[in-house]
Amino acid sequence: MPDIQELPLLKSAKREALAALGIWLAATIYSLGYCYKHGYGRDPESLTYVLGFPDWVFWGLVVPWGACTVVASVFAFCFMKDEELPESGQ
Amino acid sequence: MLAATDISNPGYSVLFALLLFIGASVWLGTLAQKAMEKKEFLKGFFLGNRGLGAWALALTATVQSGGTFMGFPALVYSHGWIVLLWIGSYMVVPLLSFAVVGKRLAQLSRMTDSFTVPDLLRERFADPRVGLVSSIMIITFMSFTMFAQFKAGATIMKHAWPGSGVLALSEDYEPTASEKAESTNGSAGAAAKSASKPIDRKYYVGLVVFTVTVVGYTLIGGFLASVWTDLFQSVMMVIGVTILVCLAVPMAGGLEQATKTAIANTSSDIAFGPGYSTIGREFLTPGLALSMFFIWIFGGFVSPASMVRVMAAESTEVMRKSICLLSCYNCLIYIPLVMTCIAARTMLPHLEKPDEVIPRMSMLVTEGLPFGPFISGLILAAPFGAIMASVSCFILVISSGLVQDIYVRFLHPAATEAQVRRATNVSMISVGLIAVIANLDPPQYLQALVVLSASGGGAAFTIPVLMACYWRRTTAAGMLAGMLVGFCFYFGLSAAGWIQNWASTATDSSSLARSVIQVLGPDPKIGVPGLFRPYYILGIDPMVWSLFVSAIAGVCTSLVTKPPSEEHVSRFFDVAVVK
Repeated sequence: MPDIQELPLLKSAKREALAALGIWLAATIYSLGYCYKHGYGRDPESLTYVLGFPDWVFWGLVVPWGACTVVASVFAFCFMKDEELPESGQ
Repeated sequence: MLAATDISNPGYSVLFALLLFIGASVWLGTLAQKAMEKKEFLKGFFLGNRGLGAWALALTATVQSGGTFMGFPALVYSHGWIVLLWIGSYMVVPLLSFAVVGKRLAQLSRMTDSFTVPDLLRERFADPRVGLVSSIMIITFMSFTMFAQFKAGATIMKHAWPGSGVLALSEDYEPTASEKAESTNGSAGAAAKSASKPIDRKYYVGLVVFTVTVVGYTLIGGFLASVWTDLFQSVMMVIGVTILVCLAVPMAGGLEQATKTAIANTSSDIAFGPGYSTIGREFLTPGLALSMFFIWIFGGFVSPASMVRVMAAESTEVMRKSICLLSCYNCLIYIPLVMTCIAARTMLPHLEKPDEVIPRMSMLVTEGLPFGPFISGLILAAPFGAIMASVSCFILVISSGLVQDIYVRFLHPAATEAQVRRATNVSMISVGLIAVIANLDPPQYLQALVVLSASGGGAAFTIPVLMACYWRRTTAAGMLAGMLVGFCFYFGLSAAGWIQNWASTATDSSSLARSVIQVLGPDPKIGVPGLFRPYYILGIDPMVWSLFVSAIAGVCTSLVTKPPSEEHVSRFFDVAVVK
């Protein structure tokens, strides 16, 4: 008697989709939050520079951008699972 | 003597670079044709036999059009650092593009043996209506976007054209003072006037050359030709951006100095949100910034062009590598482009046309270099390459829709391979012809349709595609509701914006306009200026609202309609394991 199970690819794809959406949510909250707090309605005199970038651009966008690139690479090489794709037409 | 001056003229080097791009594309087209020979025609032509590697998938699956090299830099030049927040969600676009639906779409498209998105959806729900509606929507959206790209391609060719002499060319490149004034005051009037000038013959020549090239090589090489030329231009683009940023930032005295000079030349707004503006419009309010984090993500991974490419991926390993490649690529493109355009405020403080920031910067920074004109020519040709690549992709998706989803499915199910091949040729050439005719005298409202199509597709497809991939209970009716409600809601809010925009300019003369303003409220003065900005509820872009509405409609309709047969769903969700 064969047992009906969910496709293995579907299982890992769901897990990865949720994780990716989680990363998107975290990036959005951090970047928007930081830029909203430090990039809007600020006294121009208080602006400092980090590596030439205005401070809020550096900490709110450049750093998370770099972090996301690292996270995406870790995701791609350590978390995402390879699955067999079916032959076309099956 | 004359030849020497000609070569140093940027126009000639641009033309040379354009010809190089065209030549390379045609060459890649013939290579692609060889690669797909001896395989089944439709799958080879429209899907490259599902053999895309990591580089090809990564660098071509997200939408990069001429906009990346023209519209985006112009925004940075006009509004300053805040534009990096505007594009900020690109930090996660690569991950989301492939990790959310990538694997599952590749699997479903193989299970259903389909090579277009409508085909996949039709099989998944065993309902021709789902296929037909999605097919019509995709063809319509992509047509509008594509027609505008034809215009852009023809315009670039016009600018590169050597014309009757060097003087005429430089006149074309640098509009006279009166023309400049006109173009900044009333763009509609200036456009109308320039359209009547005899010099615009070049536009028609450009249009024809552009069309023949793109339709030609797409016809020869199909999907692979489109992907390879896209890959080629993406590589050229990253080289161009790297050269630009390495030259421009030091010339402006370093990044910090560039920002300080930009502040001195404009105001401190250029270093903060919501961005610098000369017309008192807030470019990126926090609400709109939030919207952009939705728009780029959810407009991206369900765009028909990128779904087709994911379907063509060779394996899941290719997708994993693509995530990494594309993440690095985006880092190298967007942050350096912003840095370059901030530096431009030092070197070219008061450009009349911000669209020209990259062309002018590339000429300026390469001036003293050996092969300077050649390098700037290549940088100038990059948007042309991007436009060619995206048009060829659009032609392909549109004609695959016409051939597979309409001709084979509805008109002639028993078509032989030769007939299908002929239908493909006919449909591609007709798409090209229609594009030329539509662009002979492009209507003003075309821009509205372009904006509408770009985000409208995301509004219509995001939720339905997610449901089709992951939710067993999804019904055909739920799919239709999700697509149609999402799109109609988006269209409604856009139309409300246009009406509001019209009304706010006509309050003095029309009582109807006054009552419209009473209902819709005054122009909020946020976002990008223009006739065709949408209506913002609570300062959030319509796309975000449409996603929510589409989700509600899709889920509720699925729940109240009869569940799909367990046997049919099981085909896509389950596997039998013998114990």
